[in-house]
This record gives sequence, C-alpha cells and structure tokens, in this order.
Amino acid sequence: MNIELNIDKSVATMKIEGVLNSENSYILQEKLTEVLRSDATLLELDLAECRNISSTGIGKILLFFKDFIGKNGEIEVVRCSNSVYELFTMLKLNQLFTVNFG
Amino acid sequence: MAVNKARLLVVDDSASVVSSLCKILDVSGYQVDPAYSGSDALRRLHQNQYDIVICDIDMPELTGLGFLQKISRDFRDEVAVILMTGFLDQECFINAIRLGAADFIRKPIDTKQLICSIEHILNKRKIKDEYHEFQRYLNTADLSFTIMPVNFSKSNLFNALSSFLRHNFKIDQQVLNEVLLCMDEMVYNAFIHGTLKLEQHERWLDNHTFQNLVATKFNDAATASKRIRLRVVINPDRDQMVIEVTDEGDGFDYENILQKVKSEPDLSLVAHGRGITLLRHLSQAVEFDNGGRTVRIIKKLTNGEDPRIADI
Repeated sequence: MNIELNIDKSVATMKIEGVLNSENSYILQEKLTEVLRSDATLLELDLAECRNISSTGIGKILLFFKDFIGKNGEIEVVRCSNSVYELFTMLKLNQLFTVNFG
Repeated sequence: MAVNKARLLVVDDSASVVSSLCKILDVSGYQVDPAYSGSDALRRLHQNQYDIVICDIDMPELTGLGFLQKISRDFRDEVAVILMTGFLDQECFINAIRLGAADFIRKPIDTKQLICSIEHILNKRKIKDEYHEFQRYLNTADLSFTIMPVNFSKSNLFNALSSFLRHNFKIDQQVLNEVLLCMDEMVYNAFIHGTLKLEQHERWLDNHTFQNLVATKFNDAATASKRIRLRVVINPDRDQMVIEVTDEGDGFDYENILQKVKSEPDLSLVAHGRGITLLRHLSQAVEFDNGGRTVRIIKKLTNGEDPRIADI
C-alpha cells in the first residue's frame, strides 16, 4: 500500500494505491491528520489504484470527515476503482461526499 | 553409480568429446545419446524424451545459445540444459541465464563436477515433480492456525496464505483480495475486541500511543495467554471457501447487530457493525457461533454475479 499526499494551499490531493487494511490504515490516519493540520479545505482522493478498503480504513476516513466538515472542509473522491466504488455505494458514503467512478 | 536411470543427450561438434562424455556418463549409470550439432540434437529431442541436455556453447551453425533459445521455446521446463564452454564472457553468461540454462561446466570437463551438476538438477526436478503430483490430487484444503496475538504479524500469515491459494487453487486476483480483506477484518476484530477488549476511542489513537497501549495490555498474563484460531477450508468442487475465526473474548450480542446491519446497511458515522456490513458485502454468508466468539464467512471462489450482493 502506498499513499501520496500533496497539499497546495486550500487543496490537498491524496492518491492511495493497493489494499488499505487494518495493518496499514495507521499510515492513512497520519496522512489525514496532516491534512487536518494544514490550511486545506478540499481533500481530493484518488482511489483508482486502491483495490479495497477495510472497515478500519473506512473508519479513519469517516473520523477525518467528521473533523474536516467541522472546519468547513469537503472531501471528493475524484477517481475510484470498481471494487471501492461498489463498497462506497453500498455503505452509502456517496451520500456524505461526492464519489466519482473511473 | 546413479540410482535414477535418467536420459541424457550430449551435444558437441567434436566427436571425441561426445564419445568420451557418453562413455563416462554411461558408466555412471545414465542412459546417454550422442548428437554432433544443434540441429541433430533438436531432431533427437523431438523423437525422444530427455531429462538433461549437455551442450557445447561454441558450435558451428546453430550455437549453444541458439539451441538453448529453441529448447526454451519448444520444451520450456521439460528439459534442463547444461552448457559446456572453454571460455564464457559476461554477456554470453547473462544471455544463457535469461534463456534458462540450468548450469555451466568448464572445459576440459571435470567428470565429478558434471555428475554433481546432473544429480543436483535431477533432485530439483524430482521435488518439483512430486509437488506437481501433490497439486494434481489436491482437491480440498483444511488449514488451521492458532495465533499468539502478542507477537502476531498478520501480513506474514496473509502473504503465505495468499501465495498458497494463488498457486494451488488458481483463485482470481480480485476474489483473493476480497478473501484477504475478510480475513484481515475477522482477525483484527478478534484482536482488538476478543483479545484486547479495546474501547472505541482507543482504536483511533495515533499509532505510537496505540502501540504503547497494546504493549501495556499484553503485560497482563491473562490477555497475553489468549489465542486466536483461524480456519480456512477451500473446496473448489463446491466453488466455496469457508473462513472461520475464533477468539477467547467475552463474545457479543451478534443477533442484535446482525439485525441492525440487515435493516440499516449504511454505515453513516456509526462504528458498530461496520466490519460485519463489509463482510456481508464481500461474502455470500456471515454466521456467528459460540456467543459471538466465532465468526464464519462463506465465500465463492469464482467471480460470478451473486444475486444476494446485488440485493444489499
């Protein structure tokens, strides 16, 4: 699993590759904390190369989401693999933030 | 004297080298045939089945490397090739390795070294054949693991399982990813709830604080003595895999959570039931037993459309 994070003023872009599971989700937590501490108000998630996400990973994203909207932040999944798109739709996460397929 | 009557082919444009090698190898107990060019050797290879070809690199017309290229194309792993040479430059060596040469023997030939090389290749072949034979008759697998959570690394176990499943059951990569994610989900729950009894807020601590907390929990002898049991049953005939994880915790009210998950399959921001929802999404059935200490999922091995998943 690999996470690339770039923060440019108010926009943070995060690209996640591989499978996000319980063992590596702390890396996601660290990166999300970095976003939360920055001036970014938009997090663009690129999940096109992310093959799947465990409930721990989902939990980290939701926990971040709760804090991020508290500072008027917004999440957008700009690209998404088929399996993650299915997962996000099934869990109705697309009702919390925009999830784009492809 | 070699016990195995392996069949060898000696190839060299020098008739005296072929003759002397054939005599030595015949006396050593192998069945040996001569060939005096690469083309002659290829003809013989198409007529008979050989275990090993011992071939000179420097031959007119079809060289040893050209011959090796044709063998790897036509016979793949069926025939091992030992190359003989008086001098081997680096580029030639790299090419030969890339083309799949099994070994190199320097000329003039050291008989002991050649026989040692032949026996080494035959032994490797025997082990490989035995493993293929085992795979041919491998119908189902029932694997059980008892895990000591105190020094458990899931990645090592999952990597080993992933490799075993991929090689022996030819499972589709996407299905394999889902299987590993389900195992991760189940074992992690057995770890944080069944073994460590962590509160929800403790699970969201930063990694350093979390690791310290886990280490503190394991200072307690009762916690450290707990075990997690993982059972994986693969049955390709029934197109299914059963994964079962049992912990030694207090269990939980699974009926209530299952009911909740069925009636409200969305997670929103509520943590309870998230893992179970995900297991339901990735598998065909989720079952609990033993007061919630045992969780079992049934997962299809092929990647076909599942009406139950579409209904969720």
